[in-house]
Amino acid sequence: MSKLAAQIIRKSRLVIVLVALITLFMGFSLRSLKINPDVLSYFPKNDPEIKLFKYLGEEYGGNSLAMIVLATEDIFNRETIATVHELTNRLRLDPGVAYVTSLTNTLDIRSDEYGFEIGRLVNEGNLPREPEELAKLKAYTLSKEMFRGNLVAEDATATLIICRLQNGEDQVETCRRLQEIVAEIGPVEEIYYGGIPFMILDLHHMITADLKILIPMVSLIIILFLYLAFQKWEGVFLPLLSVVISLIWTLGIMSLLQIELSIVSNVIPVVLIAVGSAYSIHVFSKFTEVDTEQRPFPARVHGLATAMQEVGTPVFLAALTTIAGFLSFIFGSYLVMIREFGIFAALGVLFALITAFTLVPAVFALKKGGSAPTDTTYKKGKTENTGLTSRLCTALERLVITRPKTILWVSILLTLIGLAGIPQISRRVDLIEYFQPQSLIRQAETILQEKFGGSGLIQILVEGDIQDPAVLQEMEKMEAFLLAQDDVHRTQSLVSLLKELNDVMGEGRALPDTRGKVTNLWFLLEGEEIMGQLVNPSRTEAVIQAMMEGSLETKRVHELVTSINEYIAGVDSELVTFHQTGMPTIYRNLDQSIISSQFQSLTLAVLLVFIVMLYMLRSLAGGLRGLIPIGFTLVLIFGFMGLSKIPLDIATVLVAGVSIGIGIDYSIHFLGRYHRELTKNQSVKSAVQTTISTTGQAILVNLLTVAFGFVVLIFSQLVPLQRFGILVAVTMFSSGFGALLLLPSILLLSSTGLKLRPHRSLEKNKNASLDG
Amino acid sequence: MNRPLFFFIFLLLLPGLLLPTVFATGFTAEQIMERVDQTLSAAQDQEMRVKLVITDAKGNISQREMVMMQKGNDRRMVKFLAPPEQRGIAFLSLPGGLNYLYLPAYRQTRRIASHVRNQKFAGTDFTYEDMEARKYSVDWEAKLLGEEDGLYCLELIPKAKTNTDYGRLVVEVKADIFFPVKIEFFDKGNKPHKVMVQDKLEQINGYWVAREAEMKDLQAGTSSQMFFTEVKFDSGLADEIFTERYLAR
Repeated sequence: MSKLAAQIIRKSRLVIVLVALITLFMGFSLRSLKINPDVLSYFPKNDPEIKLFKYLGEEYGGNSLAMIVLATEDIFNRETIATVHELTNRLRLDPGVAYVTSLTNTLDIRSDEYGFEIGRLVNEGNLPREPEELAKLKAYTLSKEMFRGNLVAEDATATLIICRLQNGEDQVETCRRLQEIVAEIGPVEEIYYGGIPFMILDLHHMITADLKILIPMVSLIIILFLYLAFQKWEGVFLPLLSVVISLIWTLGIMSLLQIELSIVSNVIPVVLIAVGSAYSIHVFSKFTEVDTEQRPFPARVHGLATAMQEVGTPVFLAALTTIAGFLSFIFGSYLVMIREFGIFAALGVLFALITAFTLVPAVFALKKGGSAPTDTTYKKGKTENTGLTSRLCTALERLVITRPKTILWVSILLTLIGLAGIPQISRRVDLIEYFQPQSLIRQAETILQEKFGGSGLIQILVEGDIQDPAVLQEMEKMEAFLLAQDDVHRTQSLVSLLKELNDVMGEGRALPDTRGKVTNLWFLLEGEEIMGQLVNPSRTEAVIQAMMEGSLETKRVHELVTSINEYIAGVDSELVTFHQTGMPTIYRNLDQSIISSQFQSLTLAVLLVFIVMLYMLRSLAGGLRGLIPIGFTLVLIFGFMGLSKIPLDIATVLVAGVSIGIGIDYSIHFLGRYHRELTKNQSVKSAVQTTISTTGQAILVNLLTVAFGFVVLIFSQLVPLQRFGILVAVTMFSSGFGALLLLPSILLLSSTGLKLRPHRSLEKNKNASLDG
Repeated sequence: MNRPLFFFIFLLLLPGLLLPTVFATGFTAEQIMERVDQTLSAAQDQEMRVKLVITDAKGNISQREMVMMQKGNDRRMVKFLAPPEQRGIAFLSLPGGLNYLYLPAYRQTRRIASHVRNQKFAGTDFTYEDMEARKYSVDWEAKLLGEEDGLYCLELIPKAKTNTDYGRLVVEVKADIFFPVKIEFFDKGNKPHKVMVQDKLEQINGYWVAREAEMKDLQAGTSSQMFFTEVKFDSGLADEIFTERYLAR
């Protein structure tokens, strides 16, 4: 390490040029970085339910439903009907749209004195204009189950235009065009956009806005804290530069690998700025600590190299644990986007480490050696330092020395409170959770829920001889079962069409009783647009569709999926088989994946951290004790989630891994320094004191920077990211508490202090090994 | 009332009056379309077998066969022969918008209404409008775009009162016999929507007829072909064929 550091310091110019070149290249490739907020695209391709969902989307005219609601006092007025008609015709011409269904083009089967009619509800060539015509249309539409609550609200205050989006088209772009079409026509009615595709479009806007707002904000916070801590601009400039460069490298590589920014990985910039600055802070502060006098160049190089060696190992280990924390998402994760987040956040941390070890010393070496003595640098002993953090440290130090038992009891109390909160953690996986309560898309979902029974698509694939009346009867039963579920509405399948036609043929609203009748009726339906959404050309498969309320609690989603599956298991599989997919199934898989991700990544992260601790402390007891702060932190975060009703979701699932990764750093730095102080033949007490006043201060600076850096996420437009920010801030404070108060108190209270067998690389004075 | 007007298609697609084969020059656009209307409107009666081949956007093919009989301009009977499960389904169209459907499995005849014009006929790419026996010279404002290789090329814009799904048509008319061989259909946004080509022109009993017609939906990627065989003109079809009673036979 010291050789490498000496090399870097000697060849500082070369290092700087190299870093600059790489950064330029990466910065250039950054321009093609894309955003893809579509959650579905990050599901593993081999998941059978996702496969089925995609299959149905491809074969049956798309299962992404973009829904446009027109709301007004009574939609059965001349203008609104004309607007719906115009919208329908314009929207269906869009290349991204497979089908449009609305009041003015929906299939209607009716029978009157002029004969029976399989036609449109509204005659497009002659739209109703007169009040009597409109009143007649209203009465007729609301009298039919096919339309009431499906395309028109029961109170006639809203009507729905459903656009089925083509699979494989860029749905974000399509939705944007759809909104443009609507804007061009400029309806006077209130317009709401709902359904997953519009949510994804909004997420896209929000991610872009987030990146623009959050990155400058978090940078500003970091500048502020670094300046407060170091009170020199170099101290601000270098860590920030290092982190910005590592960010450019990371996003540049993502862009080169054509990996798109997801609703999870868009948080990487904020995470990196907040987390990655720590390494250069430690290196920089150590350098300022040793590089205080004017020295001739070789001596200075030696001094800096030694400093690098001293600070190098804990910084390296700290980065390693953070990387481990992020990498833990790779193995535990079912969602590709969480895996990508893990990989690239880890890569970013690695880059931050590399720049801290290369760029920071190189730039430092370029300075004229030695700071002026008037500079209040960060580690010149507590008496000289008047900075905020140093005063805080002094207070902490006094607290630890005088009240270790109180700290222990407070910790135990907090742990108990945390434990009590854990069982109350709820889980949310639905996309609507991403939006603020006052957002337009939430309002749209509320209307869709109240007037049209929700926006979450449930699809049942039916396999069998679809023209067999027995199969149709099973489908009818399946639909009845679905409708009997509390949160399911609006089923759609061939069954209702065949029943209507059978009625017209004079045999009542029931399914035809012979195959011949089915095939005869089929003839009438052939070529109708809707058939492509309901049955395959060879009539061996059909689809039953239903709508589910968009924002159901995860527990309810599980129940729903389970009960449907139980029903399916009871069906005679010789005759017909059903397969369930759609939003509830996807949400259930997502939820299960979040839980197993959480479990696996936690286990893995704790294990990795334990190994690092063992390596560093060379003692089982020491390793275990090093885990205390992290255990404490985890209990506190999960307890906090339970008590503050922050659910476990796609974003907050990352918190545990991130907090282990970041939080453990404090213990590593603390124990590293403590150990070195101890080997200098200090007593446990004075070793603790020195550690708190030196490393403790760096920890505190880092803690505050990271915590406030993440608090910035509160300004994110994405609700899970807000929660993520709050949770990481809580994590930082609790792991700071763990490392700066709880850990030293334990060290003080255990009679011998922490017995350590020093690791060679940490050992400055080999003779002073405590347990030797 | 959906499937009703379907018979009219044949007026457009099939038969035609034998017209003077004199190569005509110096016609105005309106005159050309009037001659086309004459060509297309009616022999005394006609009878033919029709094979329908429908290709969906994924390339799946389905086939259908039927017998079509027409007397005068406004009486038509269509009976499906294949596929087997659709055998016996029959349509009857009589003057005054009276349309009847017979479903053999129900042994029932039902009257069907007929005013939906932009829907697909029997699963094909032809809509009812495409199949109507309309007179071009009455409904459309014609403009002669050019004359080349024995073809007139005309642009048709709907007249104000014309009820149509299309914004504009471009028609190619074989100049010597006034038979339309190609029609491009543009939607109201002026995007190409469909193309119909009539091929294998033949003279039977003195009437010109296309033995093949194909309609392609450019937006949906589907296509429908029709093959006409056993074409007979003026064979003296009995009036009793065009009755409700005959539907069930």
